[in-house]
This record gives sequence, C-alpha cells and structure tokens, in this order.
Amino acid sequence: MKPDILKFFRQFLFVKLVILLSIQITFASDNDSKKDYESNNGYSSDELKIGKRLFHGLIITGDNTINCASCHNTEVIDTFNWNPSALEIALSTQYMDSSAFANTLLNPVTKRISEVHENVQLDAQQILLIRLYLDNIKLNGLEKPKMLVKRLAFFILLIIVFIVAFIDLTFTKKIKFKPVHGIVMLVTLVFIFKIIYEDAVSLGRSQDYAPLQPIKFSHKVHAADNKIDCFYCHHTAETSKSAGLPSTNVCLNCHELVREGTNSGRFEIQKILTNMENGHATEWVRIHKLPDHVYFNHAQHVGVGKLDCSECHGNVEDEHLAKQYADLSMGWCLDCHRTKKVDFLGNEYYSKTFEEYHEQFKNRAIDSLTVAEMGGENCMKCHY
Amino acid sequence: MTKYWKSLDGNSIQNKKEKVEKKSSTNRRDFLKTFGFGLASTFILSRCENAAHKAIPYLIKPEEVTPSIANYYTSSFFDGDKFNSILVKVLDGRPIKIEGNDLSSISLGATNSITQASILSLYDDTRYRKPKVNGEDSDWGTIDKQIIDQLKKAKEEKGKIAIVSPTIISPSTKKVIADFIKEYPTTEHITYNAISVSGLLDANKESFGKRIIPNYKFDKAKIIVGINADFLGTWLSPVEYTKQYVQNRQVSEDNREMSLHIQVESGMSLTGSNADERIIINPSEEQNLVANLYNYIANKVGEEEITASKPTMKITELGNDLLKNKGKSLVVCGTNNKETQLIVNGINQLLENYGKTISFNQALLTKQADDLEMADFIKNIDSYKGIIFYDCNPVYDYPAKEKLTNAIKNIELSISFSAIPDETSEIVKYVCPAHNYLEAWNDFNPKEGIYTLSQPCIHPIFDTRREQESFLKWAGIEQEYYQIIKQNWKSAVYSKTNLAFDFENFWIKSLQDGIIELESNSSEPKYKNDLSAIKITEPKSELELHIYESVHIGSGKHANNPWLQELPDPVSKVTWDNYAAISPFLSKEKSLKTGDVIIISGTMEIPVLVQPGQAKNTISIALGYGRTVAGKSGKDVGTDVYQLIKTDGYKEYSTDITIEKTKVFKELATTQLHDSMEGRDIVRETTLDKYKEKPSAGNERHKEIEKHHNTLYQEYVYEGHHWGMAVDLNACTGCNSCVAACSIENNVPIVGKEEVKRAHEMHWMRIDRYYAGDPENPEVIRQPVMCQHCGNAPCENVCPVGATNHSAEGINQMAYNRCIGTRYCNNNCPYKVRRFNWFDYNKSDALEGNLYDPHGMTKDLPRMVLNPDVTVRAKGVIEKCSFCVQRIQEKKLKAKMENRALQDGEILTACQQTCPANAIVFGDLNDKNSKVSKLFEQQRRYHLLEELHTLPTVGYLTKVRNKKGKKSNNKDHQKHA
Repeated sequence: MKPDILKFFRQFLFVKLVILLSIQITFASDNDSKKDYESNNGYSSDELKIGKRLFHGLIITGDNTINCASCHNTEVIDTFNWNPSALEIALSTQYMDSSAFANTLLNPVTKRISEVHENVQLDAQQILLIRLYLDNIKLNGLEKPKMLVKRLAFFILLIIVFIVAFIDLTFTKKIKFKPVHGIVMLVTLVFIFKIIYEDAVSLGRSQDYAPLQPIKFSHKVHAADNKIDCFYCHHTAETSKSAGLPSTNVCLNCHELVREGTNSGRFEIQKILTNMENGHATEWVRIHKLPDHVYFNHAQHVGVGKLDCSECHGNVEDEHLAKQYADLSMGWCLDCHRTKKVDFLGNEYYSKTFEEYHEQFKNRAIDSLTVAEMGGENCMKCHY
Repeated sequence: MTKYWKSLDGNSIQNKKEKVEKKSSTNRRDFLKTFGFGLASTFILSRCENAAHKAIPYLIKPEEVTPSIANYYTSSFFDGDKFNSILVKVLDGRPIKIEGNDLSSISLGATNSITQASILSLYDDTRYRKPKVNGEDSDWGTIDKQIIDQLKKAKEEKGKIAIVSPTIISPSTKKVIADFIKEYPTTEHITYNAISVSGLLDANKESFGKRIIPNYKFDKAKIIVGINADFLGTWLSPVEYTKQYVQNRQVSEDNREMSLHIQVESGMSLTGSNADERIIINPSEEQNLVANLYNYIANKVGEEEITASKPTMKITELGNDLLKNKGKSLVVCGTNNKETQLIVNGINQLLENYGKTISFNQALLTKQADDLEMADFIKNIDSYKGIIFYDCNPVYDYPAKEKLTNAIKNIELSISFSAIPDETSEIVKYVCPAHNYLEAWNDFNPKEGIYTLSQPCIHPIFDTRREQESFLKWAGIEQEYYQIIKQNWKSAVYSKTNLAFDFENFWIKSLQDGIIELESNSSEPKYKNDLSAIKITEPKSELELHIYESVHIGSGKHANNPWLQELPDPVSKVTWDNYAAISPFLSKEKSLKTGDVIIISGTMEIPVLVQPGQAKNTISIALGYGRTVAGKSGKDVGTDVYQLIKTDGYKEYSTDITIEKTKVFKELATTQLHDSMEGRDIVRETTLDKYKEKPSAGNERHKEIEKHHNTLYQEYVYEGHHWGMAVDLNACTGCNSCVAACSIENNVPIVGKEEVKRAHEMHWMRIDRYYAGDPENPEVIRQPVMCQHCGNAPCENVCPVGATNHSAEGINQMAYNRCIGTRYCNNNCPYKVRRFNWFDYNKSDALEGNLYDPHGMTKDLPRMVLNPDVTVRAKGVIEKCSFCVQRIQEKKLKAKMENRALQDGEILTACQQTCPANAIVFGDLNDKNSKVSKLFEQQRRYHLLEELHTLPTVGYLTKVRNKKGKKSNNKDHQKHA
C-alpha cells in the first residue's frame, strides 16, 4: 500500500514538473529564436544592438530628452499606453524613405509629437540604426514579457512541503515531535485546496479582463470628458439583444473633423480613416462574452428594465481601458433578479398580464415586486 | 445453468456479462493516476489565458439591419414542381428560416416540408464553387467566350440548339429566353415535368379548349372524391389544397357539419389515410371504375353512357353520394392518362361542378409541360448541336437515361445551370452554376392573375451567376436581369392594375407583400362532350407497380437535403429509404416480411414494407430515391424507379411487374415501430352522426377522469401567462411540415440512418400513426405528439440535479447546461418526448472524439443555418420541445417595449406557424378569450393519458369521422401491429 502511494506522489510530482519545464522551455526557445539577430540585410548584429540601445536611451546622444522606449513600448504590455508601440511605428513608417522618416522624427507637424520630439538630437546614421531596429521589430513582433510563475511556484512549493512532511512522518522521522507534521500538513493542505478552489472557480470567467484594443479608444475621453451619451455609439442597447458596437461610419460622425486627440495625437484617429479607406472593419477584442447556453438581451434590461449601463459595466467613463466589471456569473445575475424591483405600474404589459398582482397593488397589499417574484428565477428566462 | 435466449442472433445474457467483465480492466491505481493528472492539468490550464474573441462591427451599417434582430423578406419558392409564396427570416445577414407568406392565397402562411427544408440547400456544402469546363474549375470570362463561340458556330451552321427545362412560370425568364432565341433562331425550348400531368392538361384542352389546370376549390365541396390524387401530400399544390380542405373538416359545437372525403387509390397515401372512406383499386382498374361511375351518374341524370365492362366493385353508394351533392362535389384524379381525365371531366360536368368547385379563373400554371414534346426531343436528340439544361436533371429523372447520357457525351455544346452536382451536370461539358433561389431576383406567375417576386436575401456565397444573366450575356444583351424584371412588371403587371400610385411605389409594395393578385373575371369555358371514342382498358389480374411521388423527397431534386431524408414518411414512418409497399395479403401469399429484399422485374433490388391498406395486387414505390450523383445525404439512398416509367405517349406511372424473392434482409429505418395503442384510448374518435347528437361523443372518459383528479401537493398558480396548446386531430393531416419547421427552428440535429434504426432520432415532435380495423383496408389516425408540458410532470421530480422543472408560465423547462444525462426524466416520461444526445451532433463539445456527424452538418457552411437564439446541445444532455420559448420571449419583449399587453395569436410556435391544416393552436390559457382557451372549452378536448394525472397543457380535440353509422366506434377497434 505505502509504496503505491509513494509511487503515485512521485508520478504526480513528475508530471507536474514535466509540464512546468516544458512550458518554460517553450517560452525560452521562443525567445531564443526571436533573438536571432543575424540578418541577411547586410547589417551586423552589432549595428542592430546599437540601434536597440539608441531606442532605449542607453547611448547618450547629447540631448536631455527621454528615450524612445519610454513612450513607445517594445514589449507586449497589458497597460494603456497612449503612444504607438514600436511595432506600430515600424508598420506605419515602413513605406517611407530615410529622409521622410528622419523628417517625421525630427520635425513632426502635429502638436503633440512636436512638443515631445522638440529636443531630439539624432544624426542620420543613428536614425538609420533606429530604423534598422524597428524593421527587426516589424519582422519579429514585440518582445514577449516573461511568464508570471509566482503563484504556480508557490503551489508547487506547498506540495513539496506537504510531501516532505509526509515522508518525514512516515519514513525518515527526523522530527520527533509529531504535531509539527500535522500542523505543517494541515496548513499546506488548506492552501493547496484554496488555490485549487479559486482557480477552478475562475475557470472560464474573466472578471477584470481588459485586453488592449487595436485602436486606443478611451471611454474616459469620450464619455467623461466629452460627455457623449452611451447610446450615441451603442445605439441598439435599448432595442436589440446586443448593445451594438458602433460601426466605423458612426466614429466618423465626429472624427471627420476631430483628427487630433489631446492624448493620442493623430496616430490613433488616423487608424479609423485608414480602415474606412481600405474598407476594413475594426477588429475589436471582445471583452464581455457569455457562454453559448446563456441568452442575454440588452433590450429587456436597458429598454424595459431601465437599468443604467453602469450597473453591469461599472463606471466605464472612469478609465481609459475598458474592462469586464462584473464576473458575469449566474450567481451575480440572480442576485440582481432577486433584489431588483419591476416597474410594475409603469408598464401596461405587467399590469394587464398579472391582473391578480395588479389588484394587490391597488389595494396596497403589496408595494413592489422583484424580478424573481415574477418568474425571473425560471431557467428558461436565460437558458433555451 | 440453463442458457436463456434473449434473441435469436445468439447473444445470451450470460455471454454479454462475460464480455463486460473482461473489458473493465481499469483499477483503482489507474483511476488515482488519472485523477492526479486531471487535477494538475486543470490547474495549469486555468492559469492560461482564454483565447481572445473578436467583435467586429460593420464598416457602414446598413440602415435596415440591426444586429440580432431578424428581418423578414418576401420571396417565392418554386422548384419546377410546386410553388409557395414565402417569407425568409434573415438574421445578421443569414437566411435561417422560411415561413409561409400569409398575404398569399396560395400558401396562407403555411408551407410544406420541402419548402421549409429548402433553406439548407443554400448552405449545401456540395454546391459548385465556380463554373466548370469538362470537370475542371474555370472562370466566367473563359467559359462565356467558349460558349458564345460555339453558339455562333451553331447559328452559322444552322445547327439546332435545345433549352431543356421544367415548366417556366417566370414571365421575365420567358422573355429572356425569347430574347436568346431571337439571337440564336435555331434554338428550341423544350419543357418537361419529372412528375407529369400532361394527360390532365390535354384532357382539359379537349374538353374546354384550354390546356391548363383549373383552380380546384376543395373548400366549396361537400363531397370530395380523390382518385389516386394525393392532393394533401403531393398533387399539384398541396399546401393550398390542405388549407381549403380543412375548412370543411374542422367541426365545433357551433358548426357540426363536415365534408365527406372518399379516396379511391392503390397505395396508402397521405390523402387516403385522411379519407372517411377508402376504396382500394389496382391501377389498371382505375379507368374502368371512373367509366362506370360516369355511366351511373349519366344514367341517373339522363345522359348518354359510354361502353365499359362491368365494374369490379360497388359504386352505387359513391354515385349516390355524389348525385346528392350536385354542384357541391369535386372529383379529382391524379392519373396521367388523358382518357381517364376526360371521363373525370365528364363526371364533374354531369355533377355541375364547373364554375362552382372547379373554376378556370386563376388557373394553376405550375405544370404545363407536354410529355410528347419531350419524348419527341429524346427521339431526335442526336440531331442537336447543343443542349442547355435549365434547372433540370433529366439524366436522373427522365426514364430514357442511357440514350440521354450517350447523346450528351457526343454533343459538342452541353451546358447545365445546376447549382449542385447532379447526374446531368456531371456529364455536361460546361457547368454554369446558378444562384440558389435565396440569392437571386426572379418573378413568378404561379396562377393566372397572381404574380410574385423573389428577392436576394444574402450576397451570393460562391462565384455563381443566375441563369438569366448567362442567357443575356450569351445573347449579347447588356442589361441586368433585375432591370428586365422591373420593366416587365411595369408593362405586364402594373398596367393591369388600377392603382392610384406610380410604378416605383407599386414596385416597393409588391416587394413588401411579395405577391400581387389581380382580379380576373373571365368567363368559364364551354364544355365539349366527346367520350364515345374512348376505349376503356380492361382491369388486369397480374401484379402491378404503382409509382408515386414521396411527400418529402418529391421528384428527387432535394434528395441531398438531410432534413428531408430524416423526416419520416407520413404513412409508413420510414426515413432515409424508399421501399416496395406490399399488402398484408401479398405478404402472406409470398411469405415476405418488412425488410426482405425483392427483385422487381429482374432489374432492381428493393426492400419490402408491409403496408396495411395497400391494394392486394399492387406494389407501390416512391420516386426520388436512388440518386447516383449527389452529396453525402442523397447519394445511393434507396432505389431509383424512374426507369420503370413508360414513355411511349404519356408517361405511365403504373406498369406490370414480376417480383423475385431474395435471401437478403435490409432493415428499414423507421421512427415508429409500434402501430398499436395497446387498447388504451390514446386517440379518441367518434363519428359525425354521434358528434351531432352529443359533442362529447367518444370523449366520455374525459369527464370521468377529471372527477378523480386529486392531489396532496400544492398546485401551481400561474399568475401571468399559462401557455397551452390545442391540437385538433380532425384537422391534422399528418404531413410532417410541423416536424420540419420545429427541427429547423430549434437546431434539432440530423442523426442519420443508423441512429434512426436505433430509435435515436432527435425530432422534438413526432406524428404518431395508428391503424384500426381490417388490415387490408384499415382506418388511419394520426396524433402529433410534442412535450405535453404537464402541470404535474413526472420528469420534473426525478431529475437529481433539477435540470428540468416548472416555470411560472406553465412550461416544463429544460436547462441543458445543468443536465448531467442520467436520463431519469426520459424513463419517467409517459409520452416519450424527451430526446437524449447520444453523441455530439453539433460540434458543441470540446472533445473531438464525441462528434458524430454522418451528414456533414457541422461543417462551416451548413452550420450557418443554425438559429442563434437556440442553444446547440452537447453530448450527454436531454432535450425536448420548449413551446418555442425563444418565440414567446421575443414577443413578450416586444409587448413590453411597446408598453401593451400581448395579443392572442401574436406568438406562433414554429409548428403552428407552418401547419397547412391549422391543426395546432398555441396561446395563453389564462386569457379566457384566447383561441386556445375557447378550444379547451370544447367538449372534444381531452389529454393524452390523462388518467395518469400528469395534467398536460397540451390538449387534443377528438377525431370526428364522417362515416356511415353502421361501422364501429372507437371502443371496439381492432388494433394490430
């Protein structure tokens, strides 16, 4: 019996380690291949390195300006950066010749860039090397950040501690005072199960999911600073199942004239115009996604129920980057259904359909009904 | 130990046990290992990020499109055989459902199963992606150049060109073809109908001078006699006829009259199974019977008789019934024999039916082809330089296959417009694939004075081109077909209306309504009597073959539609096959049982089905099967009997045959294996006489059982709505359109033949069919069964996870995501309406190995037809009828948004919407004025197995038969398997 269990744990640990290792190896090898700077374009890796250092401000060029990378990220990031990333610059300037590129860099026309680029001092050779670095980014994409393994490492550590305690308790018996084993095993076990539980619960859920979007659209700028109503863009929220993402022509209602943003300059707004010219619709990253077996209708909640957008989406106007505010779990839905009052007397549908309740309202026997009391907890309200 | 036999194939119970023990070698350690690994991988996986999904809005949003809100466009369905005026539901740019156009007098909102299912042909994965030359992909530029060169060459050489098509009822297409013929004057246009009514047309030409099909009015007739005419299932315009027919069949306490329907036929047809009385004849007896009936009536009214031998059966009663209802009777005959049709015309004339139940106003134009013209063309086919096949597949559906095939292979210029590969397009030189009808503009003139339009509901999916554009291109006419239709309507239709608004407004209104009905008051033509020359054929005593059109597969054009293949035949309940229907008499005589394969006339093998009510010496086989070139669902399904149709003169759909027994057994996939009610009154019926006396006749038990309803539990209170459904068994003809509509609306998967054999079909509703009485001529009764939404549901309280429970609106709801697949509910349901997903039919599982998709329904293209408002179910869950809850919710929401109460009749379930017989009524039982509440008050109302105290909210109305009193009532039915 005992060797069996031991064997099992050994195998368990082995499997875990193999998976962990393979993940790290995959990432490592990935980075290695990308770091292969030996290009066939006649540039040496040294020149590329200089280009990279120039971009990151590691070579002093005589000016006191901040370096390029402080605004233009070269790594994949998950925070909001108003400025175009190095990759975006590389792509948007790929058809420029050297002098045009240098001109854009040193003598920009738009207000925001000229303020920042004012004191930039680079000679032609340096600009060429920076461009070389950008070309390389264009080929290989942005650098990927290292994977976060903290929680995973902690989990493995817990398991190891548990096993060590277990082995010592049964075989080696180094520590004579037995309750120590008990306490250690109990504590580690509690944490192990806590982590497993938390991860299992969050499986398939994505609260606070805030991916970067292809256009740096800010709800704060639009909804808070410029006070545009939600329904101006999401204009089917009251009438249709989906709230609707604005089509590109809706963006152009304003951006036909507004071509330069206070934060983003011209770069981001230009993307809308380019998309329109090329006939490509903007491919946003979807944030809110319910499972296939759930039917949710905006018209019912916003149009009939008169819910405020923020009740489910939070204060989107507070932040630049849109994120999933609620966890969109069934419990969260039902919590609201159980507490939210139906506007019974305000809608003839209710007062004419639920005649019994209507009488009770008239007789002051009841003064409100929650969604759940009117069948809002039925499975087939959302699942069919 | 004694070895008990479980079945004859040698699998004793003991054997099975041993096998099971051997198999399970999984022990505890393996389980633990797997468990540990599972835990580890769950953890690792949960750390990974979910795949990013995209949300892509429109670039420029079309004004009329709102994402997730469906638009309905009017259109028309015409497959060269039957016409239907339809509405197409387009959701997010995809047509996903077809419904009948309620403004049209042809469909009155209903459709048949073929029209319902035709939407899948749009997403048929076998469709031609590109034009083809000699089987190689090509492009329109190349193909046009080559064809024009050859056409010009033929024109110079005065070589004949033929356009072969079914009857064309599109005025604009006719104009385009005329323009084409003007450019290439050696062109001939030859039409043929796979299922021909040439005999009827020519008989009318002789009797009335008009070669058309008159407008039959089944609603005006008190007595209907159908002679081998399946007018409720397949004959001419079945949806229209069913709508008319049921008007006189639905009795209520205020209206206790109904028409009498007598069907004379050889095989058990859908129409025959609904008749009050069936007279069974062999096909060769038909003319004799018709002639004798004529003579009997002529004798009584004092007209001249025709020479005919003595009748093979008694016709006095039939004759008297008809005579009693002069001017209110209707005799229709489905034969393609001109002489027989002439006599039938004579009978109708003697009965003074013309102008009353039969009118030449608004005559039907869907079939006009001439058999002799086509026969002549086939005879001289070698003299043609080029043939263009327009919307037809004669290599499959014309009997002279070999000659046609050889001729096409030898001809220089052969063109097919077929959108999907078929027998003809496979051997022609040029394939110029046409659009699906949902992608193209067209117009139709299905009846005199009725014009309809069809409009594109989706951008063409593939690089196809409508046939008319091809003709125009080759004729060198630089005009769009759309413009031609518009011009044509301006001159041909708009000019005949006396409307106050201008043409543009007229055009918009026509598009919106989909149909324009002009008033026509032309006088009825004069009847010319000349029957003396007819020589009546003598009845034969040999074995005969009766070839008929199947209700769902039709002429075979839609054979590649798995929805249609999986719909059970209305009478035999067989899916995915055709069969030789033999009578129980013949079965005994030749000792054949269902599934035995026989050889017909030494040429074809086909399994036998013992069909109660079949003529003793006749074998019936359906057309439309045995396609050799089609997609997965249509290829090699059943046996092709087109080659047995005789084509010298009019096509003959009956012939002498010999049969030969083989030792082969082929199991038919049948959805109903049990034809007996086991002595219970599952279907309650009465006769009209008894009903007139007492409306509760035949339903006496209902009151009795209601007295015993008692419960210890608290009963449900339905505060708002209480949904209920009433099914009128007297109206239901059993055509299965509702089953098709239900499956399409609710994403019901296709399981394929093998799974149907294991009784795993997934249809949410079925139409049970029972026989009663004499096996040689039984009474048939049908009952649509869907989830009964019991108020005291046996399924609800056995679910261990609460996946099925009762809603506040009386719906027995089913939460798929909660179901763990114990199937307790399935076992506990007395109605067997719950379906279990034995496999992942919809590709909704994460595990690939679970997928079971024998007909490619989960490929990207066919998946486009799925209704996004209904979940696709994964493996291991139970599903069932939801009362179309998505439709209920949609209309409720609409009412809430408009700040008003729901109207009765606003919510139509999919089955109700499409029913041509108005047999299904859905509504709110809490609303005392709703139609369903009124029907529930009828004394005919009862519930299925109501003695079980399940308290269903689906109510049935008893069947009332208009039969003479001497026959038995339902109490002493002889049930038989």
